[in-house]
Amino acid sequence: MTSEVVLRAEGLVKRFGDTVALNGIAFDLLKGEIHALCGENGAGKSTLIKVLSGIFPSGSYDGSLTVLGQDARFAGVRDAERAGIAVIYQELALVDEMSVAENIFLGCEPSRHGVIDWGQLQDRARSLLQRFRIDLDPDLPVSELGVGTRQLVEILKALRKDSNILILDEPTAALAEHEVRILLDILRDLSSRGISIIYISHKLDEVFAIADRITVIRDGRHVWTKVRGETSQKDVVTGMVGRDITDYYPRRGDHPSEPIMEISGLSVAPGRNKANVLKDISLSIRAGEILGIGGLMGAGRTELMMHLFGAWGLRTAGSITMRGKAFTPASPCEALNQGLVLVTEDRKRYGLLLEQNVNFNISLSHLRRLARVGILDSELEFAESRDYFDRMRIRGGTLDSIVAGLSGGNQQKVVLGKALMTRPSVVLLDEPTRGIDVGARVEIYESINLLTDAGCAVVMVSSDLPELLGMSNRIAMLVEGRVGGIFAAAEATQESLLQAALPHEQSARVAEEVTA
Amino acid sequence: MTNRIGVRDYSMGLALLAIWAFFFVANSNFLAPRNFSMLMIEMSINAILALGMLLIIVSGQIDLSVGSGLGLVGGIASVLVFQHSWPAGMAMLTATLAGLAIWTFMGALIAYQRIPAFIITLGGLLIFKGAFWKVIGNATIPVVAGGQSNLYSLLTTYYFPPAGGVVLGAVVAGVVGFSSWRARCRRQARGLGVEDFEPWFLKIVVFAQAVLLLVIMLNQFRGVPLPFALLVLLSFVVHFLSRNTPFGRYLYATGGNEEAARISGIPTNRIIVGAYALMGLFVALSGFLQTAYAGASTTTLGELMELDAIAACVIGGASLRGGRGTVLGVLFGALIMASLLNGMTLLAVSPEIKYIARGSALALAVWLDIRLAKS
Repeated sequence: MTSEVVLRAEGLVKRFGDTVALNGIAFDLLKGEIHALCGENGAGKSTLIKVLSGIFPSGSYDGSLTVLGQDARFAGVRDAERAGIAVIYQELALVDEMSVAENIFLGCEPSRHGVIDWGQLQDRARSLLQRFRIDLDPDLPVSELGVGTRQLVEILKALRKDSNILILDEPTAALAEHEVRILLDILRDLSSRGISIIYISHKLDEVFAIADRITVIRDGRHVWTKVRGETSQKDVVTGMVGRDITDYYPRRGDHPSEPIMEISGLSVAPGRNKANVLKDISLSIRAGEILGIGGLMGAGRTELMMHLFGAWGLRTAGSITMRGKAFTPASPCEALNQGLVLVTEDRKRYGLLLEQNVNFNISLSHLRRLARVGILDSELEFAESRDYFDRMRIRGGTLDSIVAGLSGGNQQKVVLGKALMTRPSVVLLDEPTRGIDVGARVEIYESINLLTDAGCAVVMVSSDLPELLGMSNRIAMLVEGRVGGIFAAAEATQESLLQAALPHEQSARVAEEVTA
Repeated sequence: MTNRIGVRDYSMGLALLAIWAFFFVANSNFLAPRNFSMLMIEMSINAILALGMLLIIVSGQIDLSVGSGLGLVGGIASVLVFQHSWPAGMAMLTATLAGLAIWTFMGALIAYQRIPAFIITLGGLLIFKGAFWKVIGNATIPVVAGGQSNLYSLLTTYYFPPAGGVVLGAVVAGVVGFSSWRARCRRQARGLGVEDFEPWFLKIVVFAQAVLLLVIMLNQFRGVPLPFALLVLLSFVVHFLSRNTPFGRYLYATGGNEEAARISGIPTNRIIVGAYALMGLFVALSGFLQTAYAGASTTTLGELMELDAIAACVIGGASLRGGRGTVLGVLFGALIMASLLNGMTLLAVSPEIKYIARGSALALAVWLDIRLAKS
């Protein structure tokens, strides 16, 4: 790493109407460094990226931007790309049906007389893969790749453009632990080749594993930039939130009670004549406690939740009982009537009607009980909505606000409020804090605690091991559709959980590494 | 259901005024009592069909079969009344039940068998057309046979006496004014933002005057036509359904995000079947009206009416992706489409040009809508 500055932003100010998204931000990026950018949702990270990548053209903001010492005025994304800046977004922009090579060169296929030169496309893809020592068949369709590998293809797409500045926006949001490791290795390799990387992530463990320098921004302002060794996670969080957070995981003590739901020997297949995805699962779910469910991507966590909720799968063996009675909901509607509720991991896709207002969303699951002879009692509906709006401490809007305009954390509170209004006895939470910043996270945890205090049983799926350890009373790790181990949270460690989450061969290898 | 009504409603109002001004200048008979009364009947039939279509579109589906379907349902009633001498009420009830059954069945295929609505209803379009021609034996069955006195032909020949029209108008203005005032009070009580009193009051006054003016114009010919009164009634019903019943909310939720709706515990399949079942009723009613208005069941009856209904919804701001659309918008949309058609007929525009103009109006309206939504 040299001290040559490849990119410098000074005094950036960007306004949207009355809102000031960037308020005089300064930022610099050195050649070959990995520079982490930390801030809560709404702190201005996305806006900053959009300025750097030309989505907000020069002139739509105040302040100066220089790339390699030269004044940069991007009229659009293409200008930024030409200057060597490439952004890899959370939502991957790959065409599933096309091969790795085709995707890498999408939009600038090597061609002769307007006809694609397939030979050259293959050769160039191969040499690119070789150059970065990535073991991947360029002919493979992207649809056959896992999320982590797709991320690599996305990065290769950027490198193909000879970019020397990569901006990664939450690249690991959808990755499992081992995929994260691979990605971080590749990023380190890239930086050692002189490529500068701006790395944005909510996961501070990753930030501290990889970043050379860390910049914290808050409310559109630069808070501080420090070399990694001179700061700590606590320091970063304090900078992001603007106050000390003393208790990340406000866990309640264990108060064991009777099981509400018993799952025994459960096997589930996606359909008739298909192989089981969930195999011989036995768990008991107890009132007043949080059962954490961990595991790698594809271990069957979401499938288990969806099956319990009557939304997925065909039961091939085993049984579920609820309060002693057989429980076989044919649809989410039935599951809901029996006291279950599900908060899905992808709130925009499965949780919310983004174009409708908060009131519409928050009362949706409970509507039939707010109606008499088929007609809504709007007074009652309003009273209930207001009650849960207040309990969830939803901010940045009223019951009348369109949900799309709320921040991620507040949107998640709307989803939780909707779930709680149905007075559930079992609450299934799938990645309840994905993509939510630290401050709002604690509030979500506190709402979850309200549930267990009220005697609900909570099942919480999470990829975040510290979260599982911090919030659960018991933790079950799934591995390839089976239960790999059940732990009392007090006795579990990140290592023991990870060990239980890995398939046997891999698990042995990790054990070796640990002992070696 | 959406807070973006403002600009769009004004833009629709302005478009309507422009269209009326154009035709009025081209031929002053356009707003003459007789033609205006006909325009209102034509608009009412299209709008009733479009109200049904609104339920379908809001739930995220589409129905291309309603044009030939309404011919069929009207044809069944015509044959029963005028060839088998059934009492008109019985015949219409039977035909309505047939419509209800057919549309419920189509809805079930779409919801439970997961066959795209576009395909099912495209098939329906052809099947109903064939069935219609079989039912009427490829002949023309006049509705007037047996005199003007039967319930069927009365549908489009009955007019409310002038006093009755005025009472009707007063009731409408009163209901709208009162419910708007109550909603306003309620919002205030809940601490939500409300429009200032003056502009709100002005709007209500303008609305009441518009209703009065409408009744006066209609009274100059024969009075308020029955189809128009039916439309007003059904508009209230659908508006109430869409806002104040779980079923209505579920329609918007299902159309807005079917997966989210399902996970929220909404029986989305039943909601879709319900929307189609209601569509069957709207098809039946507009089938009787259109047949009575045309004076006969003929092989071309109902042709392209599905497109006029879809156009009315879309011009009125409904989203074909589902989850968005209002009754008020549909009424404006239907009025715009009916005005275009009526005005061109009055100017003796050739059929080929009429097709082109209707198509262009639809494309233009959607383009404008997208532009306005962006800005």
